[in-house]
Amino acid sequence: MTARALQSIPPIHARLFPNQEWTLLVVLLVECALFSVTGNNFLTTNNGFEIVRLSVEIGLLALALTPVIITGGIDLSVGSMIGLSAVVLGGLWHDAHWPLPVAALATLALGSLGGGLNAWLIARLNLPPLIVTLGTFSLYRGLAEGLTRGLETYRGFPSEFLFWGQGYLGGIVPPQLFVLLAAIIGIWWWLHRSIYGRSLYAIGLSAEGARYAGISVARRLMWVYVLSGLIASLAAIIYVAHLGQAKSDAGTGYELMAITAVVLGGTSIYGGRGTVLGTVLGLFAVVILQNGLRLSGQPAELAGILTGVLLLTTILIDRYAHRRRTVPTEVHSSTEDFEVKNAHVAILSAVILAAALIVAGSNWLLVRSLQQNTGNVPTAANNNAVTPTTNRKLTIAVMPKAKGDPYFASCRQGAEEAAKELGIELLWDGPTEVDAAKQNEVVEAWITRGVDVIAVAVSNKEAIATVLRKARQKGIKVLTWDADAEKDARDFLVNQATPQGIGYTLVDEAARIMNGAGEFAIITGSLSADNQNEWIKHIKARVAEKFPNLKLVGVQPSDDDRDRAFTEAQNIMKTHPNVKLIMAISAPAVPGAAEAVKQSGRKDIKAMGLSLPNLCKPYVHDDVVPSVILWNTIDLGYLVVHSAKAVSEGTLKPGAQELMAGRKGKVVVKGDEIILGPPFVFNKGNIDQYNF
Amino acid sequence: MPNSFFSNFNLARHQRELAALIAYVALLVFVGIVAPSFFNAGNWRDLAVANAPVLIVAIGMTLVIVAGQIDISVGAQFAVCSMLAGALAKTGIPMPLLLLLVPLIGAAFGAVNGVFVALLRMPAIVVTLATMVVWRDALRWITEGTWVQGMPANFQWFGLGQTMGQVLIVAFAFAVLVAFYWALGNLGAGRAVYAVGSEPEAARLAGINPPRVVLAVFMLMGALTGLAALLNSIRFISIPSNSGLGLEMKAIAAVVVGGTVISGGRGTLIGTLIGTALLGTIGTALTFAGINPFWEKAIQGAIILAALASDVVLSRIRNSEFATGSKGTLQIGGAK
Repeated sequence: MTARALQSIPPIHARLFPNQEWTLLVVLLVECALFSVTGNNFLTTNNGFEIVRLSVEIGLLALALTPVIITGGIDLSVGSMIGLSAVVLGGLWHDAHWPLPVAALATLALGSLGGGLNAWLIARLNLPPLIVTLGTFSLYRGLAEGLTRGLETYRGFPSEFLFWGQGYLGGIVPPQLFVLLAAIIGIWWWLHRSIYGRSLYAIGLSAEGARYAGISVARRLMWVYVLSGLIASLAAIIYVAHLGQAKSDAGTGYELMAITAVVLGGTSIYGGRGTVLGTVLGLFAVVILQNGLRLSGQPAELAGILTGVLLLTTILIDRYAHRRRTVPTEVHSSTEDFEVKNAHVAILSAVILAAALIVAGSNWLLVRSLQQNTGNVPTAANNNAVTPTTNRKLTIAVMPKAKGDPYFASCRQGAEEAAKELGIELLWDGPTEVDAAKQNEVVEAWITRGVDVIAVAVSNKEAIATVLRKARQKGIKVLTWDADAEKDARDFLVNQATPQGIGYTLVDEAARIMNGAGEFAIITGSLSADNQNEWIKHIKARVAEKFPNLKLVGVQPSDDDRDRAFTEAQNIMKTHPNVKLIMAISAPAVPGAAEAVKQSGRKDIKAMGLSLPNLCKPYVHDDVVPSVILWNTIDLGYLVVHSAKAVSEGTLKPGAQELMAGRKGKVVVKGDEIILGPPFVFNKGNIDQYNF
Repeated sequence: MPNSFFSNFNLARHQRELAALIAYVALLVFVGIVAPSFFNAGNWRDLAVANAPVLIVAIGMTLVIVAGQIDISVGAQFAVCSMLAGALAKTGIPMPLLLLLVPLIGAAFGAVNGVFVALLRMPAIVVTLATMVVWRDALRWITEGTWVQGMPANFQWFGLGQTMGQVLIVAFAFAVLVAFYWALGNLGAGRAVYAVGSEPEAARLAGINPPRVVLAVFMLMGALTGLAALLNSIRFISIPSNSGLGLEMKAIAAVVVGGTVISGGRGTLIGTLIGTALLGTIGTALTFAGINPFWEKAIQGAIILAALASDVVLSRIRNSEFATGSKGTLQIGGAK
């Protein structure tokens, strides 16, 4: 952008990294070289196209955000717009019976309208983009939740529509590639080859200057935001076709991933600098990193950490190369170049040293204290490492719904115990937070990597079915556990308890605590969680059928956050003073609700629900929580790995009646379901015998 | 219009805070009509205790934004500091010492942001986006969802009992508010934050060292986040590994709704107090009003936008009434 061409002989580091695109290209090559060594089947055409498929939605958002950021603005609402567009598309098609193409056009119109609201507030009312889109970020997601009441999921889209997200052209090329290519070319032309695009750079460098140069700044800014909304709704259509379902939580967190790609690609967050090529490179640097780490069997968290580090280092390199290069020709800009004195260097070193010491020391402390915790030592990531063995070990890949959930952390303990016992290689990976789209990505990576068995705790049965069928076609055995996929997409389900069994046990136990009569309220995980909505359905059914004197007065969400559950429980007790019981059906929500009940000092209210015994022990002993309901989660993980081995070796076939599972002994098999046993009620008398 | 009233009140200076205050009063009037039971001492106590930690973070965020920066890593810092507060308490360190140590750890995390932003001159939003991901994912990797449990008996409420503990938490938040309110107005260092935020070059020429101010602001942000994390943790007997999700958005929204200008140089802690109160009350108010929780996020977003728009409307009224007064600044929204 600047007068860099005038520079005579650039110093060596500037020649090596003339701009951020080159830095990124080097990063990409390094990533590819590294992962082709560490990952299984990384450098294959198939994997190449899978990477493209996974990057289309984020890629579209990143392309839409490039012009926005070049004008010095930002749009945080694009992820929420995906959610809103997805449910509107689903609603128009499913409920209003519009033909899909018309519904899709209406969705695009809605996207433009949403972008238009941002545009109007930003360009006409002169409000700062960051704050406006922070508001619409919350507004659009909220509208999506409100319209669907959080629980509606639109499914069953026709196959010609799904083709756009799941199909293959010529057996290998994902069709959405062409949408991405069209967007790349369109935006590239608009930004780099049209006068309109040039004016956006002018606006980004100095809006006031652009105005004096005769550019109608407000109008151009408006189009940039309208376009961003439009492309977000286009991404939503692809997303729905890709996952085969439309739900209000679609695209959560996508805005940050897209911004990461754009900024990594060298677009200046201050505006006035950036290219489409850079954005595309930035996008693939992030996506390939994630994909490559998965194929190398590294945990998902590492991808996040490395993305952060990559972001910092590339920008740092760019800043230094760029700054040294332009200093002699640019007007001396003093915000850029405060003199760095010795004192600064000393302060800097001291701060870095102290920070490093504290960060390192605190890590050590944290690990130690978690180990003391309850003796439940997560044996960390080293189990994931690919260990070269002479005779190939059986590889079993197990996926939880969310890695960060204490419930699944305890399942992992059992899975690792079984893996050690049976001498097989266990891959334990999945999304860090509940995310149906991420589950598909991980399964895709496992298929490419080539594992023997895949066992998935399914977040969304429609969304995962296609990839699981693909895995079965490739000869991989597929199990589901914790929650089922569609029956033809898996070999067996390891069933810890049916939703009906869970709902009924909860209600029966609640009725016992409340002596069969009174008001109760539910605190759920998130309003859009399939599992919990299913349980609530059965809870209501059981109440209606058997306990007419129980009255459900409300369902409040906790977002699986203990502190939020605490506040919601306080609100419930105040708005419904007659409530006798708070039933929490998410593991962190039970201790949250219990603490609220305890602090209220009211002995006539109890809390109970589905949670881990360890999280609730103190409250059970305080008589705040009379009972906690759950199955033995360690046994669940243990049984999953045993079943996986049996299925893979052919000892467990359709029609079997039972399965020998190590220390669990004989386990009942009913049809295509391996039954763990009924839900267990933990109470004051027995809870101390369990440690998970 | 009684002009004297407006000129006495100095509407021009406090207009943005006023917009937030009007929105807050409107919310209270609405909930007062629909559900009068909202107004009882117990409810206000619970709201104050739950929002005191948010207020402390928002105070830090006000400093950061006034200095022309932003910090979206506070939620992740909050989670790390919460876990560490628990881990430290379990080593048997006396509780008062924790009040010193945890903010210190927070300051170290803030210093990492500060070094990248102030000394290596990278954009704050990018740096803190990166550190947010790094801290959050590192914490997930280390803890794998395990909570810190088995806290010593004197951890909850610092062993002071529930009532005293609650008083302590709210008192701390107000002490921080008063101290920073005073410091921003009366100390050279406080004025320097405004100077750096409104025009770094002018600040430099006036003898201020902008990088040092920015570094200090990020470290203060970290320290306050650490304090907030500790005060939030002592309300409970165990510490989850995923706390503080979305805290950065909450704090930024509270600060901006409270009238702080996102491009720096302008903003007051009174505004932040009103903003925090407004956003912290919405959820509970909606529950009392019996509004379905599905609509909560949408209403929250609408209130943020309404507070912003009302600011524009107020300023148009003002401009038409005092045509001779300060010129309407025709700032272009897209320009930073």
